[in-house]
Amino acid sequence: MSFRAVKAGFRQQAIQFITDPQWIIPSLILPFLFTMVMLFIYRDVTGPIVLQAVLGGGVLGMWANTLFASSFTIAYDRMNGTFEPMLCSPTRIFDILLGRSLWNAFIGLLNAILIFIVAELIFGTGLSLMNPIGFFFMLILTLFSLSSVGMLISTSFVFTRMGSFFSSIFEYPIYVLSGALVPITMLPTSLQYISYILPPAWGIDAMKYSAIEGYESMMGVSVYTDILVILILSALFLMASFLVMSKVERRILSDGSATRY
Amino acid sequence: MDDSDYAIVVENLTRTFSSHHNGNPKKVAVDGISFTVKKGEIYGILGPNGAGKTTTIKMLSTLLIPTSGKATILGLDVTDEKNVRTLRNRINVVSGGERGLYYRLSGRQNLEFFADLYNIPKKKQKKLIDDLLELVELTDAADIKTENYSRGMKQRIHIAHALINDPEILYLDEPTIGLDPEISKEIRSLIRKLSDGGKTIILTTHYMFEAEELCNHMIIMSGGKIVGKGNVTDIKNSISNSSSIRVVTEREPVFAIESIRTQMNADSKVTKLLNGRFVTKFTIPIEYNDLSMYENIFRQYNIKNIGVEEITLEDAYLALVGDGEE
Ligand SMILES: Nc1ncnc2c1ncn2[C@@H]1O[C@H](COP(=O)(O)OP(=O)(O)OP(=O)(O)O)[C@@H](O)[C@H]1O
Ligand SMILES: [Mg+2]
Repeated sequence: MSFRAVKAGFRQQAIQFITDPQWIIPSLILPFLFTMVMLFIYRDVTGPIVLQAVLGGGVLGMWANTLFASSFTIAYDRMNGTFEPMLCSPTRIFDILLGRSLWNAFIGLLNAILIFIVAELIFGTGLSLMNPIGFFFMLILTLFSLSSVGMLISTSFVFTRMGSFFSSIFEYPIYVLSGALVPITMLPTSLQYISYILPPAWGIDAMKYSAIEGYESMMGVSVYTDILVILILSALFLMASFLVMSKVERRILSDGSATRY
Repeated sequence: MDDSDYAIVVENLTRTFSSHHNGNPKKVAVDGISFTVKKGEIYGILGPNGAGKTTTIKMLSTLLIPTSGKATILGLDVTDEKNVRTLRNRINVVSGGERGLYYRLSGRQNLEFFADLYNIPKKKQKKLIDDLLELVELTDAADIKTENYSRGMKQRIHIAHALINDPEILYLDEPTIGLDPEISKEIRSLIRKLSDGGKTIILTTHYMFEAEELCNHMIIMSGGKIVGKGNVTDIKNSISNSSSIRVVTEREPVFAIESIRTQMNADSKVTKLLNGRFVTKFTIPIEYNDLSMYENIFRQYNIKNIGVEEITLEDAYLALVGDGEE
């Protein structure tokens, strides 16, 4: 892995983001509006449900950035004619994408923080976080786990110009299955099993654990188990995306799809 | 010749594409081509649209895996996955055109991004990029976003980008397409300069004069096959091994015609012009096209003009490509 390429991906994504205002809408404004609508719906309710709403918005913001923005960058490269020069360099596409994902995760984090602050200040949600430091730590972990899932889905963009088809298919199911919208326990049992293999589900569980006093965690495990599972699952997702990406990189050279867009 | 004198050795290289959309399942884009490129040469690939030029360049630059056949680049087999990264460090490609740049980034930022992808240390980048910008004469525009660049500036930044890893082989796919004559000329002299600096250059073009001006050797492709190969003279000769001489004289060259017939076994055609002069045309084998010899033979008739009526590269190209297409 080339650290310089990761940094290059990060920097290029940052400049691209800052100089191109169109990104602000999907990555900052939409999740924010979503949270406001949720809060409006739940305006008479207090306690964990409000937390669920704010959490939902925050996670959506992070997810939108880690999945949508990161994977779309490759579609952009294909359209823009920069995919081929990138491929032509000795660097792995994985490294560049990782750098870009890190930038997008950073924007996702800003987004989540913004949502929590506004929810608190304007709506006075009175989110009394039981353990604010722990909560922030879990937020970062969740973000990391979302990025790992995003990386795997991004490989589809490298593979085909139909990538957005895949990311659209996966974006909302994963959002729901992770327990960001409604608690996982409210999902049908068969779907809950899928949740357990998604690292963000454990992250969100851990976030709730540190926010709500006496929270009964998913599967009744301790928060340390949550953390361990997040780390293991995220590492697995990252490894899988590394392997799939290497295969895909070779594959597009043989099927000749690198230059079509 | 030693193997190491060759930058590129291509043997029976073939690439097919499966096109599920239209009726025929397989399209043969490149069909069993073979050629060699010596180190330091400028090698041309000519041919009409769809001939397979770009497909060939992609295979030789590791961006497309051949369906069959062999290509050895700098002694390394391109089809071997192990060689891909090594090769990418030692070659580069200019695909050019309007695309291929991050428009929101300046020329310098674009170059920095690619310098990072070639793992060039930050310390070295500054000087390298300044030098490249100077080489392509973009120093003043370095910090302007590339979305504001003209077509010519974009092409020049593409070339700077392709030089970032100081490649031993540089592939240029239609480097002057869509550029005005003046900028095209600048790009050609830049290509010449790079070649003088020792780089091996593979160039595709639709312009005969460009190939004639730059290329030491070339292939002409049509329908995925090679229909002509060699230096400019070889290509011209491949359609005809003769050249024709045209002499304008004040008086009718009776004896000259006779001596050409007896010495070269060539028939002449003489026409009288309205101004009273005579035009004599005859075709001789290419090895006898030494004009001084004919100046001697025609001297006594007072020569007004003498020259070889050249078969142009374009004549040869059109004839070869026409044959290839059937
Ligand atoms: N990725 C691809 N998938 C399917 N067919 C392709 C692909 N790339 C090229 N072809 C086909 O292969 C043939 C050769 O194309 P190529 O681009 O190599 O031609 P070219 O000589 O570069 O032409 P031009 O002068 O127009 O650039 C064409 O018929 C083209 O349609
Ligand atoms: Mg082409």
